[in-house]
Amino acid sequence: MFKSEEMEINLGPQHPSTHGVLRVKLRLDGETVVKCTPVIGYLHRGLEKICENKTYFQGQVWTDRMDYVAAISNNLGWVEGVEKLFGIETPRRARYIRTMLTEMNRIASHLLWLATHALDIGAMTVFLYAFRERELLLDLFEAFCGARLTTTAFRIGGLREDLPPGFVKQARAFQAIFPERLEEYETLLSENRIWKKRTVGVARINAEDCIALGVTGPVLRAAGVPYDIRKAFPSAAYAEMDFEIPTRPEADTYARYLVRLAEMRQSHRIIQQCLDGLPEGPVMAKIPKILKSEVNEVYHAIEAPKGELGYYFVGEKGGVNPYRMHVRAPSFVNLQALPKMIEGRLLADVIAAIGTLDVVLGEIDR
Amino acid sequence: MSEPIEPQVPEGASESPVGPYVYDYAAAPQRQIVPPKTVPLPSLKTYEAEVIAQQAADEAKWKKMQADYEVAKAKAEAEGKDAPKPPVKPVPRKDDNDMKTPWPQAAKDPDLLHLQRLLGEQVEEIFEQAGELTCQVRKEALHEALRICREDADLKYEMLADQTGTHYPAAKEFAFSLVYHLTSISRRKRLRIRILVPEGFEPESACSLYPSANWMERETYDMLGIRFKDHPDMTRILCPEDWEAYPLRKEYPVVGLGQRDIDFREDRGGVLMRIAMQKAGQMGINLKQPTAD
Repeated sequence: MFKSEEMEINLGPQHPSTHGVLRVKLRLDGETVVKCTPVIGYLHRGLEKICENKTYFQGQVWTDRMDYVAAISNNLGWVEGVEKLFGIETPRRARYIRTMLTEMNRIASHLLWLATHALDIGAMTVFLYAFRERELLLDLFEAFCGARLTTTAFRIGGLREDLPPGFVKQARAFQAIFPERLEEYETLLSENRIWKKRTVGVARINAEDCIALGVTGPVLRAAGVPYDIRKAFPSAAYAEMDFEIPTRPEADTYARYLVRLAEMRQSHRIIQQCLDGLPEGPVMAKIPKILKSEVNEVYHAIEAPKGELGYYFVGEKGGVNPYRMHVRAPSFVNLQALPKMIEGRLLADVIAAIGTLDVVLGEIDR
Repeated sequence: MSEPIEPQVPEGASESPVGPYVYDYAAAPQRQIVPPKTVPLPSLKTYEAEVIAQQAADEAKWKKMQADYEVAKAKAEAEGKDAPKPPVKPVPRKDDNDMKTPWPQAAKDPDLLHLQRLLGEQVEEIFEQAGELTCQVRKEALHEALRICREDADLKYEMLADQTGTHYPAAKEFAFSLVYHLTSISRRKRLRIRILVPEGFEPESACSLYPSANWMERETYDMLGIRFKDHPDMTRILCPEDWEAYPLRKEYPVVGLGQRDIDFREDRGGVLMRIAMQKAGQMGINLKQPTAD
């Protein structure tokens, strides 16, 4: 089994750079990784089982706890999945507000990724800069729904309430400062020699392997595949938005960094369009107080900051709970690519690879 | 901290005090398993049969109403009374909401028809529902169907987005449905391949075609207990290795099996007891245990 100079070490589950409770079993030959096995499940809460025993309205609250840095994206997937199951048509204004908040959440999630990823690699300052802007976004979420992290922002059929007074002004203030703040991060990192040494050519995975392993999101787009669910299967108000899918051909950690920065710019564009073209009207569809489903199954996927977030529902005749609920978590599937990325490379690259995959363990273990 | 109120014995209720306050774990609502009685498997055939049965039932009801009316009319005429009101055909109630239930529809999509042409007898059912394409194949033909979806030039479903299963304890011929959600990135399409498997059947693993199935099938095994043939590493993934039973089966209680039987919520130090006594005292109920003397 082992060569005499090989040894096996555990990275995690309490290592700060594993972003939660990820354990990676590594077999090393000196500094080189020979074999890598991710071990997950330390945060398993049985979310699918719980949601089967909650009503469609109650289950949404649990989705906040999956990818806790992008709770609004999780909410969007849940409410749209349930709306598809029941055939509910949502008012246009609600769809615009949903789009806007989801994009804000994408920026917040990418900022957290940038902060922690840079911190893992050794660039401490970016952390403070990125959290400064994330704070502004969390204030906006708090203004909208009273919570900063576990938002439960949307309701099945629309929104609970319209935008609060002053929200648009506050959002426009954020929009005004954000592009130059993004440039600030770029001056810190993009041409930084140490940053480039740690990221260029590190943790490569090509487009073919990405597709075979089901990898989605920025990792796939950094491998040159322009697959974005917002364009491919548009929901909410994405069909009416004008934005691009940033891609890079290099498929390394640096390319993913550039793709995520470009995605923040595109999100900024979408938010601007939502603010400018916000239609008037109601924000809630007419739906019964108790939703009773028919026999039906749907798979609804949205583009979460980490990739394709899919919800699979099976409805029972007259059931107020989903008969079966399953989450296709992007981090869960993306993490499968970790061995492919780092086997044969150096131990220090493992940290960069985990960071660049942008995994959230609450979503992997559910 | 308020002073604990001593339980007071109300008049006329001194005998037969109730036992100590103990939470009955076995009777807790979270522990109760209500096995599903129906098999909510979306299917065009079942839906059409249901619709026809419903129409027949409605027709029979309408005929009975008419017959009753004729009898009542004849009776009224014989007795010389006023004729009863003629019956009104019942119309379905209209709901005033923005919901439009997506019913299963016959397959029109070229992908489904193409797949049916290629697989022939192996296809059990094809239909569309809520804009999603479903193709149910025989359980032995799963690998064949996935291979065609991946390799056929007209289909080109490159990515396996999701794989999962559902437990149907009320069904007789099968116990689980397994679904494979395929995505075609180049053609922007999704397709669902479904098989129905009985307990103990080992479907073939999709890992050789779609490597992303590796962890998904492990999760399905972990949660539902379906083993896959030729899977590279058929072990549990989310639960610990020594976990007993499969959590997403319908006979598994929400609070878990066994783990919570450890009495960590048992009344250590008598806190629950004291609270119960206080509450009971305020309500005038005697909960005090009889002492030896």
